This record gives sequence, C-alpha cells and structure tokens, in this order.
Amino acid sequence: MKSVARFLLVTLVLAVGSLTLAACSDDDDGGGGGDSSAEGGSITISQSSQPDYLDPALSYTVNGWEPMWLVYTPLITYKRAEGAEGSELIPGLAEDLPEISSDGLTYTLKLRDGLVYSDGTPVKASDFEHTIARVLNLESGGSFFYEAIEGADKYLSGGDPEADISGIEADDKTGEITVTLVEPDASFSNVLAMNFAGLVPGDTPFRNLTEDPPPGVGPYELTSSEPNREFVMEKSKTFEGLGIPEIPAGNIDTITTKIIPNAQQQAQDVIDNKLDYMQDNPPADLLPQIKERFEGSDAPDGERFEEHTTVSTYYFFLNVREEPFDDPKVREAVNVGLDRPALARLYGGTLAPGCGFLPPGMPGHNESLDGPDCPFGDPNQPPDLERAQQLLKEAGAEGAKVTVWGNTDDPTPKVTEAYADQLDKIGFDVDVRILGAGVYFQAIGNEDTRAQTGFTNWFQDFPHPLNFYFLVDGGTIQPTNNQNFSNVDDLKINDEINALALETDLASVEDSWAALDEVLVADNSYIAPYGHQKQSTFFSDRMDFSCALFNPLYLNDYSSWCLKEGE
Amino acid sequence: MLRFAVRRLISAVLVLFAVSVLTFLIFNVIPAGDPAVRMAGKVPTKPQVEAIREEWGFDDPIYVQYGTMMKKLFTGDTVSYFTQLNVVDEIIKGAPRTFALAIGAAVLSLLFGVILGVYGARHAGQWSDRAITLLAVLGLSLPVFWLGALMNHYLGFELGIFPNGGYVEFGESPTGWFWHLMLPWIALSFLFVGFYSRVLRSDILETENEDFVRTARAKGLTEKQVMNRHVLRNSLVPIITLWGLDFGFILGGGAILTEAVFNLQGVGQYAAESIEQLDQPVIMAVTLFGAFFIVLLNAVVDIVYAALDPRIRLEDARAP
Amino acid sequence: MPEGGRVATAEGAAAPAGAPEQATLGAPAGAGPWRLAWRRLRRNRATLVFGGVFVALVLFCIAAPLYAKHVAHTGPYENHLSDTIEQDGETVNVVGFDGVPIGPTWRGEFLLGADDNGRDVMVRILYGGRNSLLIGVSAALITLMLSILLGLVAGYMRGRVDGVISRMMDVLWAFPVVLLGVALGTSLALGGFELGPVSVGPGSLLIPIFVISIVYVPYMARPVRGQVLILREQDFVEAARSQGAGPLRVMFAEILPNLASTMIVFFPLLIANAILLEAALSFLGAGVQSPEPSWGTMIDSGVERIITAPMLTIAPGVFLVATVLALNVFGDGVRDAFDPKGRVRMEH
Repeated sequence: MKSVARFLLVTLVLAVGSLTLAACSDDDDGGGGGDSSAEGGSITISQSSQPDYLDPALSYTVNGWEPMWLVYTPLITYKRAEGAEGSELIPGLAEDLPEISSDGLTYTLKLRDGLVYSDGTPVKASDFEHTIARVLNLESGGSFFYEAIEGADKYLSGGDPEADISGIEADDKTGEITVTLVEPDASFSNVLAMNFAGLVPGDTPFRNLTEDPPPGVGPYELTSSEPNREFVMEKSKTFEGLGIPEIPAGNIDTITTKIIPNAQQQAQDVIDNKLDYMQDNPPADLLPQIKERFEGSDAPDGERFEEHTTVSTYYFFLNVREEPFDDPKVREAVNVGLDRPALARLYGGTLAPGCGFLPPGMPGHNESLDGPDCPFGDPNQPPDLERAQQLLKEAGAEGAKVTVWGNTDDPTPKVTEAYADQLDKIGFDVDVRILGAGVYFQAIGNEDTRAQTGFTNWFQDFPHPLNFYFLVDGGTIQPTNNQNFSNVDDLKINDEINALALETDLASVEDSWAALDEVLVADNSYIAPYGHQKQSTFFSDRMDFSCALFNPLYLNDYSSWCLKEGE
Repeated sequence: MLRFAVRRLISAVLVLFAVSVLTFLIFNVIPAGDPAVRMAGKVPTKPQVEAIREEWGFDDPIYVQYGTMMKKLFTGDTVSYFTQLNVVDEIIKGAPRTFALAIGAAVLSLLFGVILGVYGARHAGQWSDRAITLLAVLGLSLPVFWLGALMNHYLGFELGIFPNGGYVEFGESPTGWFWHLMLPWIALSFLFVGFYSRVLRSDILETENEDFVRTARAKGLTEKQVMNRHVLRNSLVPIITLWGLDFGFILGGGAILTEAVFNLQGVGQYAAESIEQLDQPVIMAVTLFGAFFIVLLNAVVDIVYAALDPRIRLEDARAP
Repeated sequence: MPEGGRVATAEGAAAPAGAPEQATLGAPAGAGPWRLAWRRLRRNRATLVFGGVFVALVLFCIAAPLYAKHVAHTGPYENHLSDTIEQDGETVNVVGFDGVPIGPTWRGEFLLGADDNGRDVMVRILYGGRNSLLIGVSAALITLMLSILLGLVAGYMRGRVDGVISRMMDVLWAFPVVLLGVALGTSLALGGFELGPVSVGPGSLLIPIFVISIVYVPYMARPVRGQVLILREQDFVEAARSQGAGPLRVMFAEILPNLASTMIVFFPLLIANAILLEAALSFLGAGVQSPEPSWGTMIDSGVERIITAPMLTIAPGVFLVATVLALNVFGDGVRDAFDPKGRVRMEH
C-alpha cells in the first residue's frame, strides 16, 4: 500500500502544479498566424465530420466537394461566380467546351497545352481515361454517371483496372479526347464537369487515397491529410503560371480544415475568432444570436454572416403503389394540409418554404409554385386544414393507416414527427419509423419495405433538371436501391423527360421543364415538396467579407477569400 | 500459482474469442442492410454493387467471412466499410485520448474515494458522514452524459472557465491538454468516487471491529497508527480491486458517453459513431479492444488475488 | 438471513464462496428475520422518505394522461409549431420563427416550456417517465428471473452445467456494457426481432427492455450462484435430499425461498441501474425510439438546445436523477434492513 500512497501524493502535487500553470497561461491564439497584408495569410476552418473521402474519384458529399473542386479541375468546369452565372459551364483544363456530334453521342475536347500537376508532372490527355477508370474501378458513388460511356459496363465487370474503356479515346500528342456515349444525354457536359472527373496523373494507384491525396490541377493542393483530425490545403505553386484566366488562383496561402464534431463549439470558436469559417450551418441553438450580431452590412458586430438558398428540394415522397396514396385526392389532401412554415421553423429558419420540385437556381425552376400562387396555398402561410380534411373525406380515406419514415440526421427526426402530427390532424392514423441515416435510403428504396411516405431530399449534382427528374422517372424504378421513392410512373412525365433529355440547348426548353413541374406537383401531387435549404457563409472577424463568393454548385469558394488588411 | 495464472489467461483468450464470434453474429444475423449497397453511394448501380460484393467477399459463407475479418484484424489490414480508412490506425490515433481520460479519472476517483471514505468512517454517524453518504449516492445516480452536458455548458460555454469540449494533444500544449480534460475527468469520476467512498467506509467500519485491530489498540498504538498500519491496509484491498476492474471497464468502452459529450474523439466516440453507421469491421475492432482490457484487468486482479490468498486457487472462484 | 450476498459483491474474490464465517447462514426463511428487517426498515426515516418520493414520482407519471388532458390540454405527440399562447397579456409564439421554443410559463399550459416541435415538455416528461419506469421495472424483473434461474441451476448442478453457464456469464461480462447495449439496441431498432413465432416491431419498448435485462444478468447471476453453492451444503437441503426430493424440488422448493431476501435487496438497485442504462442507450439513439419520449431521448435532443432553451436538458435530467436517487437511497435502506453486512455492486 505504501507505493500506492506515494503514487497518489505525486499525482496530487502534479495536479495542483498543472492547475496553477493552466490558470496562468494565456489562451491559445487559435486562428493561425497573422500576416499583415490582405494578400496571402493562413486561416483555420472547420467541418463537423471528416469528408467521406479526400479522393476526387470517390467523394460524393458537399464536405468533400467544397474543398476539392479547387484542387482537382476537370476538363470543363463552372464559372467562379454567384447565382445563375455560377452554374454556367466554362472550359477547365480543356481549351473549349466539348464539341458534340449531331447524334449527341460523341463529345470531343482538346486539352490545353503546357498543363502541369501541382507536383510538376505534365498533364496528358490519357490521364482523363485513367481518371474515369479510377471512378469505375473503385466502385465510386459516381460510377452511375460514367456508366453512360460506351464500354464502361464491360470495364467494370471485367475487373482489370488497366483495361481499356472503349468509349474513351485520348491522344497524348495532340491532346485530343473523344468520349462516346451509349445513348445521347444532354446533361453529359455537366457530368464531365463533376468533381469525379477532376484530372489526376495517369499513374495514380487504384485505391482510396484519402490519407495521401494525389496531385491535381487547381488553385490549391492538398498537402496533408490526417483523417478525422485535419487536412491542409496550400496555394498551388504551379497553377498560377498555367494561364487559365477564368479560374482565379486564390489569395489565402494556407487553409487548415479541422474536424470538430461539435457544431456548437465550432460556432463559438468562429464567434471568438479562433476559427475563421465553419463549413456547416451554425447550430440552430446559436443561429438567432449569430444572425442578430453578424447578418447584413449594418450588423452591430460587423458583417460576418450570410445565407444563400442552395439548389435543393426537401420533400415527402407519397408512394403511389401503396394505399392510401394510390388515390390522387389523398395525395392532394397531404399537399394541402402540409404546414410548410411550421416545418421551416424546425430548420431554424434555414429552409425557404416552397412547393415546387425544381428548386430556385435550377434551370426550369417554376416560380409560381414557390410563391403565393401555389395551388395548395401559399407555402409561407399556415395550411387550409379544413380543405385537406374535406379532401380526405371525399376520398373515403379518413383514418387510413400510414407509417411515416425518417432518418436520424438532425433535424430530420423532428421534421418526421411534425409531419406525422400534421397527417394526424388531416385525419390519418399515423405511425413513425426513424432509421439510422446510414441505412435509411437503402431501406425505403427496397420494394419489400413498402414505405408509404417519408422524408427525402435532393441537392443538385449539376445544374440540369435531369439531375432532379431522374428521381421521378418511371424508367428508373428498380426493386432495390430505388431512388424514385414515390414510384412515379406517369406516361406523360416519362415521355416528356425523354424528349427534353435530348435537347442540348437547355435555355430553349426551360419553360417545358417548368410546365413539367406543374404536372408532377400541382396536377398529380406525386410528391409533397416543402422547401429549399439555405447554406450559410459564416466568417471570423479576420476575414474580409466582401471578397467571398458563393457558388451555387460548390458553395463557398475558398479561392475567392481574403483576409482583412492587417490580419 | 503459475498453473493458475496460465489457466486464467487461457480462459481469458477463450472469452475474447467468444466475444468476437458473438459480435460478428449480432451484426450479421440481424438485418442491417446490405453493406455493398451502402458502399455504392447515393445512386448504386448493379454492376457496381456486384463488383463490391466480389471484392469484399460478401458472398462468401459466413465462417469464411469471419475468418477473413479476424485475419485482417490481426494483420492490421482491416478497413472501415464506409470510409475505407484503416481501423487499427484510427484506434491507435484515438487510444491516447481514451487512456488519458481513463487514467486521470481513475486517479481522481481513487484519491477522492479514499479521502471521503476514510473521513466518513472516522466521523461515522455524524452529520458530515451523512452528507458524504448522500453525496456518494448522488454520484451513483447522476447520468454522466447529463452531468457532463451541464458542466460543459455552464462551466465551459457560459462562464468560459473551462474549454467548451474538445481535446488538445499533450505535445501541443501540456496545460491545454490538462485543461481540456479537467471536466471530463471530474464528470467521469463522480460515479466512482461515490462508489469507492461507500465501499471503503463500510469496510473500515467492519475492519475496526476485527480482533487484530482490537489487539493493535490494546498494544497501545495511536489511533493514527492503527488506522494506517492495520485498518486502511486491509480495507484498501477491495477498493484497489474494484479500481482495477473499473479501469478496464472505462478503457473498454465505459467512457463512450463521456467522450461523446466532451467531444474527445477517442476510441469510445469512434465506437459510438461506427455503431450508428453499423460499420462492422470497426465495431468488431473496438469491441475486441474494449473486451481485451476488461478481460485483461479481470485476469490480472484474479491472479494477484490468487497470489495473495491460496484459497482462491483451490476454489477457482469466478471473480468478477 | 443469507449473508451470502457478500459473495455477491465485486470483492467476491476476497470473500470466496464457502468461506468459513458464512457457514452458519441460510437457515430456512422464517417469520423472525422478516419481521426484524421490517422493523429496521421502518426505523430508517431517510429510506421511507425517499421511498415515498419514488412512489410519488411513479404515481405522477401514471397520471400523465390526466395531466395532459386537464392541466396541459395537449398530448405528448401534439406539435404546436404554428400556435401562439397568451403570456403576460401578450401573444407569444410557442416556437419562434428562428426555431427557438418558449421557456417555462410556470402555469398549466407549457409549465416547463415547449420543445423544438412545440410539444409541452412537462407532458413529454410524464409520458417519458412512464416509458423509462416501465422499461426499468420490467428489465429489472427479467434480469432477476433470468439470474435466479441461471444462478440456481449453475450453483446447484455444478460440474459441466455450471461450467457452461459460468463461461456464458464470462463472455457477457467481458462485453463492454454500454457498447453491448448500444450494439444490440441499434441493430434491433433497425429491423426488429424475429425468432420463430416471436416477432417484435422495431419501435417496440420490448427491445430496450430485452437489451437491458440481458446486460445485467451476469452482475446478478454470479452472486446468486455463489449463494446457492453455500446453501446446497446446508443441513436442511441435505435433509430434503435424504427424504427423496429430486433436484428440481430441492432447487425451487428448498433453496429458492432462501434467495428471497437477495432478490428484495437487488430489486430497487437493479431498477435504478436499468433506468440509468435506458437513459444512456436512448441518449445514444439505441434505446426508446421516436416518437416515444423517454428521459434519455429528451436529454439527447435537449442538449442541442442547451443555449436557448436549457430547460429541455435540465428538466428531464432532474426527473431522472430524482427517480434514480430515490431508488438508490431506498434500495440502500432495504439492503441495510435485510442484509446489513452485504454489499451489492452494480455498474453503469
């Protein structure tokens, strides 16, 4: 026992010692070094969770794309601009936008001359084929998009990573790249501009490189990555000299992203200038305070916060294959009785109520559906509950048993419970099922689950209505992994999607897409949309707010940022 | 003695084996969704899902899958299904945080457990003893996640005395490290302080009535000498035992809640996240990691006891 | 009365089963010791007070529907996201446009305020208390029955049967408690449970009950086994055997009654720990499933609002701590009355 007592004594002394030490020591100066000019400098920012991957072939989340689109530039990309302009395609590593053959099957591009990766390796045309091969071979979540290329399915089933993809021809001498599709797809230019197609060197290994990200061509390079702790982006030394004027080379020298699971802690650290930016929205609990202090140019504590509506739609699916939602009147009752402003409150004001499917910012967005003219009633006003009850009565579906599905991602459980309560008020007999976020979509996309109604949402992958409409295309219904949760299989809608999909001049058919939204939502109530998510920009006091750009696709554009004078 | 120790260790290994099989079964028999589909991302396609199945061996018979998983665990090749990060690396990264939490909490709980226990026994029946007893029961009744959340909010967020959660590497800033761990240590040790002080108090009171203590007193030793040389020495034995076992429990996942509330990103939090995602390789690894420490410390305590008391060896008592 | 409960304790190794000083224990249950225990219990005022607090809490929770209907005028699932109430002559949103719910009004409606969905917190607490208590009591009962059965069989049969049961307990014991609970709870909450004719829905309260009762079995079965090991050597057991009583009869008619006081001592403490574990599991999302409230799930979602609406975290926690504390103090008193020397060890 003697030794234990002595051990205790030692620890006690140590404990008291460190206590005094800690009390004396100053706070850490969180925000990183402070250079004294608006050019350059370093910042520390945060994300709530490790991005799914830090490998362009694999990442399929906003957390991954927001940093990585500045590291891996595809052959074509999007304009570094806000609003609709930011959805415009521009040449990236290619000299020009693709030349599309008259049958819509062949895309021809030419690589710019003299490109090098951040490590100095020259870029070759054949790297493009390797980049796509990695997406397919690594069974990436992006495979879906590139299976449209001829020979992709054969490459995938063959299992040999070094095999040739017959639909991709690349000439390293001339820099010419030709892509052949299985069938025409007007949105394929957008697919070429996705982050998955950001070029990597031809010798990049066929495995997940999150811990050692490959070099790319872009304003920044990923110089270190310690999963679940932090990753560091530094301004590329080679990019500025490449002469791609449309893609700015960035200001800040070093951007360190820390992974901090606690959103409250992140927000508090941004308020206290210990962090310079948080990628996620501030938690609902701190949002009112943050808005009051930092929103708007006349904010009392300086402008540091802004909200942007993202190109996204939140909706409840209404499975037409299951009673009672096989009856259009019942579906209408749900749409009429849905209390959209109430649901918006659950998002703490980060949801803009609406009842259209194609969101604002997406070509073909139907403004009348998101405003007071929505046939179900103004989405910003409480619903006409009596009319909804009446509709349900007319359909003879009062007291119909309905199970509402939702997942555990905050705040979805609350939204699901509120939706269930609203259905209860309309006159349904409601049950709630909340599943883990990891398995939710798989479960409701399995026809054996027979999910009647529940939560779902979609964020654009690229600015083309097809990226939303494949979710309600009768041709995409499958017994498992179904994404068409409502099982919408309407001839009129299917035909219109197929026809519009061929039109390469999107601007000319925007009205037709908007009209299709009327058919989907107003005429048939196949789904019950309730709003569009907002995404925030929230900075520390060190950052110069006026520099920041918000791209509708890749959200906050780190390459636009700069520090205030003197920071 | 050696034979007992060997036997005890062999049975510990067998228990670990059973734990691994059981964990594997829990997450295989129960429908948790098809991992291949989940790995395929937002828009899974058939050829893609089939390729994943083939590569990861999801179509193999279940015992083959178990064998593969265990082999990979021991060669350190296991990767998470969903992040494809090496599981052993992640555990190694989180372990120092979990150890720091466990060791600090263990020291605090033993320290204050002993102080309050001795004090309570010395003043048995007085109001201060009663207050300590009530406080001890309160310690047993406070859920650590609730206590932790309130401490974090009021002492960390509102008053700013302590950091609002998070962890700082010792190498980065020793004082920051200490300061960040202070609240988690206190929150976690509350329960154990309550428990140890109670056990110790009643043990001391019991020991004081034993013959050898009376003899010691009769020999004319001072009260202090009696306490230190005889009573405490005897009464501390069970406490140290419990302490050893609890240390195993904390390391073995008992600290999940504390880590989650204070956002320490240790093995416990890693475990909680992987369970939420039903990420089987990670669950296997962290469960075995936890079970290893529990079983190890159990075995150590048993063997030490056996060394002290030969009766145990005969009895082979199934000590907890 | 069987002081064998001592073996029950974690320091069992220090006082191994069958240690000589316990040889005198385990006389057949008679009126004497029970009356003695009752007298001791009655004299312990703290025990009675806390016992009373627990009973009051239970009654209050049982009366939840009455409170909901006549005092709060709203149910546990009813959202009031767009509603307003009158407070100090002003019209106030139950949930603000920024999502911040109203705080305590300290009167019938929204006594303790509303949660994010605009539901009455007090009503949710009472209904949540019903779930927490139901789970705690049922799980404790099941643990008790399972452990008595396993401990009895293992201790009486000894040999191979004992070996198998004890190894099973070892494995369960080696599982990290919270990890095991969360693992079982999460996977069961996902798909429910089907075994032959038994089918349990994924949202059922039976799942946390089952998980919690399994987790605590080794903590209880080991002490029972130890006690049975002593009891089976006692004279009265020998006597029954020599009169031709079969093993079943000896186990259940002779030994079981002698375990009664152990059960009584363990029961309140088991409930207390079961309630705590339920809260922990629910906090981690592996216990009671939405939309059913429980104290653990309420704290879990309350923490997200701890800045703007701290009552959402504090209130359910206070009820939880009060209940567990009352049970613990009461349980201690009961133990002192029935088993003044024994010590019971429970883990969280």
